[in-house]
Amino acid sequence: MAREPMLVRTFVELADTLVDDFDVVELLTLLVDRCVEILDVSAAGLMLVAPGGDLRVVASSSEAMRVVELFELQSQEGPCLDCYRSGEPVLNQDLGTVDRWSNFTPVALEAGFRSVHALPMRLRGAIIGALNLFRTDEGPLDANDVLAAQALADVATIAILQHRAALEAQVVNEQLNHALNSRVLIEQAKGVLAERAGLDMEHAFARLRSYARNNNRQLVDVAQDVIDGTLSAEAIDSGSHGRA
Amino acid sequence: MAGNRLLRILAELTARGGTGSSARLCEVSVDVLAMTGAGIMLMSEDTPRGSVCSSNDVSARIEELQYTFGEGPCVDAYRQDRPVLEPDLAKPATARWPAFTPPAVAAGAEAVFGFPVRVGTIRLGALNLYRDQPGVLSDDQHADALVMADVAARAVLAAQAKAPPDELAAELETGGDFRFVVHQASGMVAAQLGIGVGEALVRLRAYAFANDRMLSDVAEDVVARRLRLE
Repeated sequence: MAREPMLVRTFVELADTLVDDFDVVELLTLLVDRCVEILDVSAAGLMLVAPGGDLRVVASSSEAMRVVELFELQSQEGPCLDCYRSGEPVLNQDLGTVDRWSNFTPVALEAGFRSVHALPMRLRGAIIGALNLFRTDEGPLDANDVLAAQALADVATIAILQHRAALEAQVVNEQLNHALNSRVLIEQAKGVLAERAGLDMEHAFARLRSYARNNNRQLVDVAQDVIDGTLSAEAIDSGSHGRA
Repeated sequence: MAGNRLLRILAELTARGGTGSSARLCEVSVDVLAMTGAGIMLMSEDTPRGSVCSSNDVSARIEELQYTFGEGPCVDAYRQDRPVLEPDLAKPATARWPAFTPPAVAAGAEAVFGFPVRVGTIRLGALNLYRDQPGVLSDDQHADALVMADVAARAVLAAQAKAPPDELAAELETGGDFRFVVHQASGMVAAQLGIGVGEALVRLRAYAFANDRMLSDVAEDVVARRLRLE
């Protein structure tokens, strides 16, 4: 298949993967596999920054690629790290002639690679990782290949950032529901105590809060006990005066 | 186009002092969408939990009716996860919401629209729009409502993200109405009748329905000890 139709097909595939509960690793594995099919490269790999700030190998098109990438992380040098740190592409580095990576180069040569390239995964200010493209031949990457690879990396970047935002939204929504549920329990307990002890809501709440403070307990736990009937109105009353 | 809509809505919010108060979300919804009133309802586990804001008494009433009866455009929009449009509530093409519709029309809602308030797959509730004249939404209004609902979802989450753990964000609580009196009344009825709080809420709801009253009003009477369920 010619390159243009393959690129289009890949973009459609990537978009298809962006369904509600898509798997990031699955998407990125698809991306690196398609890079090898579409571009004039022998292997592709992808590193992403983890929440702690360290890069991790997330997807590799071959085992040889994965081993070299892991070594890159271990030795803390190589095209992917340079690209991630600078946010700029690292292109056309022939391993026979470059001397910028004294540890990485022999290992990459040993694995059969002759030239290496890396493109940043960035969106506005954020750099979230880099795409590694390795070749078993020397020589520069075709300019159109560089453009196509950067476009693929950009699509993956947008997908990952959206996914992260969705996860954050989910956590906050759970906190919101939890806060509402806790509050409902406290309001119910106020009602139970108000009825049992003949109080208004304000005084019922003050008594619940004093009891919780005096007994070093969470208000919501005390509320639950009052609703369940395991804490009587009398126990709340006697436990809410002074310090226990 | 979507970007322009978003910019216009954000500009309106900023002109009123930003998303800091949840009440502004409803005011901007009314102005941008040319509605008579708007409200934003939070839901979870298929049940209305309360209002983030409502722009006028009729909107508040529309939310209260859905809270009381558990049916209506917002409840459907949330459950079905899509916009629910009723351009002629008094003479609907398909009759739905038998408990909600007559009092909503009596309150002055001739057209009602519910839009899901969500971020991705995370569903928070629904944007509730009404007009005092029947009529469909224009394509522009529909598109604006989708963007407005999106802005509302992000504003609610942004507010809650700043709150201490286990606490409802202050700006949601002060601008909204979470009907805490209903839960206080449930506690009282549970203690009076020796039943669980869940069953007590069902009894309160049944009483409100049977007596053609709003759940919050019945709850107010119970808490003020003007009403005792038998």
